[in-house]
Amino acid sequence: MNCEQIALLLSDYLHEGLNSEQSEEVQQHCERCGDCAQDVAMWKKLALLPAEQPSPESRARFEAMLHAYPSATAAEQTIPDTGRGASRWAFFEWLRSSLGAAAWSVALLVVGVFIGSRFNSSTPSHPEELTAMHAEMTSMRQLVALSMLQQQSASERLQGVSWSGREAQLDPQVQAALMRTLRNDGSVDVRLAALDALSRHGSQPQIRKGVVDALQEQQSPLVQVALIDQLAEWRDPDAAQRLRNFQQTANLNPAVRQRAEWAISKLQ
Amino acid sequence: MLHVRNGEVGLLGVLFDRYQTPLYNFYTKMTQDRAVSEDLVQEVFLRILRYRQSYRPGTSFRTWMYQIARNTRFDQVRKTHPETPFASEPVASASLSDSVQQLQEAAMLQRALMQLPEDKRELLVLSRFQELKYDEIARLLGCEVGAVKVRVHRALQQLREIFQQLEGGGPASGLDRAMGDALPPTRRLQ
Repeated sequence: MNCEQIALLLSDYLHEGLNSEQSEEVQQHCERCGDCAQDVAMWKKLALLPAEQPSPESRARFEAMLHAYPSATAAEQTIPDTGRGASRWAFFEWLRSSLGAAAWSVALLVVGVFIGSRFNSSTPSHPEELTAMHAEMTSMRQLVALSMLQQQSASERLQGVSWSGREAQLDPQVQAALMRTLRNDGSVDVRLAALDALSRHGSQPQIRKGVVDALQEQQSPLVQVALIDQLAEWRDPDAAQRLRNFQQTANLNPAVRQRAEWAISKLQ
Repeated sequence: MLHVRNGEVGLLGVLFDRYQTPLYNFYTKMTQDRAVSEDLVQEVFLRILRYRQSYRPGTSFRTWMYQIARNTRFDQVRKTHPETPFASEPVASASLSDSVQQLQEAAMLQRALMQLPEDKRELLVLSRFQELKYDEIARLLGCEVGAVKVRVHRALQQLREIFQQLEGGGPASGLDRAMGDALPPTRRLQ
């Protein structure tokens, strides 16, 4: 058989859908033909990509959705196109979301400031007014961040973390919310993003303490390593003893234990 | 699904338990973003509930579900493309217990997969990881089974080219090693 003939069989061969005689032919061909052999190897190599597990909160979100789904809409569900039509309203749905609302608020504020400055260009702007406006915007952003951190969707919570990290000075409420997120959020990505947002405020001792405390509660090796790296970067001498205690934790991932050792040596 | 269609929506939980992990893996391999993938899975089940009357009894639920999954992904790409504002943790680097070399190869594979055109990536993910049969994929894509086989083969060839480029231009240094692996052509569960 030549490569063209083999190409017709190869897809079935990869799915183990050939009889033994045909499989034998493909194997013999692959022993002679590097190109076809590499296609088979590539297929096998794809097994390296890991199978992922959704987070435990996924089931809870589904339950909440099922519970909230109004039975009154049951009779209306006869749309035949399996859902693509719904996307026509996606734009409006976005406007109704908390991010959309925030974007509208900011846009309206900017338009207001622009119109105000155009009509009052003869009067010099007062620095205190600007400061007040800036403070108002800051507080609005913080409000949006706090609201988004409580969303069910992990990607919305990620956006909430991103919004909260934009201020030079963390509001105590936002800081507490970020700490809660770092300790308790169900998504590894969101916890890592919260750590990233907090890492910019390492000069505050209470944040450093919060991060050390969070280390004891984490189960995910990825988050544990990120926390250890952060503590090493801050060079907080108090963290060394806590890391030593942490190292004694039973069933600790060997890579995490090694990382903790490295961090302790760096802190001494 | 028939019970769900006939109003016993509580039974959707059985389908959720059976299919949430395969769907989640479909999306993580398509998007390389865990948070987005979880949201997409939720959206698929919401749509299943919303459009349950459009499921035709006697047809494959899995094929119907993947049709909804593809549409959901299509809508998501249309809403967010090309912006990807949050660099989520790459899915291939999840397990610290894997050897460094395996992690590197998996990351490179994921990169190569992401460089494939969307339709080819989808085809490979469906046939390789979702374990959909060629006739199921043909129904899903609305084409002949023969066409699916040819397209899977071409997608695989293109993936191999991209992977080799990423690997550094060598003809098959990593692939030769893979030939020696005793990995079965079904997906490996960790």
